[in-house]
Amino acid sequence: MVGFLNAPILSIKPSLPLAAAAMPLTILLLCVIAGIGTVLVLPSRREKSLRKIGGLIALLAGLVGAALLVRYLAGAAPEHPGVGAYFWTFAALAIFGAFRVVTHPQPVYSALYFMLAVMSSAGLFVLLQAEFMAAALVIIYAGAILVTYVFVIMLAAQTLPGGQPLAGLADHDAVSREPILASAVGFTLMGILLMLIFDQSRAVPVAVATAAITPILPGEGSTQSLGRYLFNHQLLNLELSGLILTMAMVGAIVIARRRVVGSGLVVEGEAPVLIAPRTPIDDNPHSLTVDGVDNPRQKAYPQA
Amino acid sequence: MITQLTLQHYLGVGAILFVLGLIGFMTRRNLIVMFLCTELMFQGIAINLIAFGAYHGNLAGQAFTVFVLVIAAAEASLALGLVVLLFRQRNTLDADAWRELRG
Repeated sequence: MVGFLNAPILSIKPSLPLAAAAMPLTILLLCVIAGIGTVLVLPSRREKSLRKIGGLIALLAGLVGAALLVRYLAGAAPEHPGVGAYFWTFAALAIFGAFRVVTHPQPVYSALYFMLAVMSSAGLFVLLQAEFMAAALVIIYAGAILVTYVFVIMLAAQTLPGGQPLAGLADHDAVSREPILASAVGFTLMGILLMLIFDQSRAVPVAVATAAITPILPGEGSTQSLGRYLFNHQLLNLELSGLILTMAMVGAIVIARRRVVGSGLVVEGEAPVLIAPRTPIDDNPHSLTVDGVDNPRQKAYPQA
Repeated sequence: MITQLTLQHYLGVGAILFVLGLIGFMTRRNLIVMFLCTELMFQGIAINLIAFGAYHGNLAGQAFTVFVLVIAAAEASLALGLVVLLFRQRNTLDADAWRELRG
C-alpha cells in the first residue's frame, strides 16, 4: 500500500496531444450535460419518466468523464493495480451517494445515501493511509451524526393540522427551489475546479508529491504517528476542540429544551405565563399539563 | 483500470462532493436535508485535506481533518437543536416558512 504513494505521480503524459488540448472543453461540456441531468432529476412534480431520463443523462456524463480520465491519466504500469480498482469503486459509490442525497425527495433516504457516501469516503481514507481517520469518520458520522439526523427526521414527522399524518410527500420535499439556477452555479464551479485540478501545466512539482508518510519512529503505524503528532504539535488545539465540543453540547441543550413555568417561579398576583408555545410534541413525562396548572412533579426551569 | 492514482484523482472526487453538497444546499427546502448537504461539503473538504497530507508526506492533513470532524459534530448538534426549535414554532420543516427573516 505504501508503494503507490512513492511513485512519481506527475510524470504522466497524456496519450494524445490533441486530447490534451481538448481536455478543458470536454470537462466543461461534461459538466454542462451533468448539470442538465441534475436539473431534470431534482425533486419536482414532473413525471417520473423525466426524472429517470435526467438520472440517465447524469450517469452517462459521469461514465464518460471517468472513461476520459482513465484514458487521459493512463501512464506507466501501475505498481498496485488493485488499489486503482478500489479507488474507482469507492469514488463512484461516494459520488453516487452524494448525488442521491441531493436528489432523493425523501429525507430518510437522503440520510441513508449520505451514509453510503460517508462509508465510501472512509474507504478512500484507507487508500490514503489514514486508517484512524477512516475509523473516526465511520464512528462519528455514520454512527453518531447520522443517528441524530435520522432521529430528528423521525421526531419531526409531518402532520396535517387535524393531527393526521401527511399522506405522500410534503410540498417542500417534493419541489426543489430554483433548480436551474443552482445547477448552473454549481456545475460552473465544478467545471472550473476540475479544469484547474486536471490542468497538467499548473500541477504541483514532483518533488513535493513523491514523499510518502514516514513514521516518526520505526515500526509505528500511521495511527500512532498521528497521535504523537497531535499531542506533540497540536496540544493546545486539541484542548480547544474539547472546549468547543463542550460548548456545543451546552448550547444544544439550551436551544432545544422546553421552557415551562414552574409553580414556584410565578410572581404573586400575576397570572402564570406560558413562554414556550404549545406544541403536540412533549418528551418530558412529568409535564403532561404544561400551561398554568400547578403540578408539583413538574420540572421547573429557571427563567433566564 | 490501468491507471496510476494521482493527487488529482482525490482532489477531483473531493471537488465533486463539495459541489454536489453546494447544489443540494441551494435547491432543497427541507431544513434537515440542507444541513445534510453541508455535511456533504465537509466530506469533500476532508478528502482534499487527507489527500494533500498523504502526498506531502506529513500528518498535518490528518490533524486538520480531526478538527474538521470536531467542528462538524458541534455544528450538527447545534443545527439539529435549532431545527427542532424551529419545527416546534411552525410545525413544518420548510425553510420557506421562515421567509420573513430575509433582510
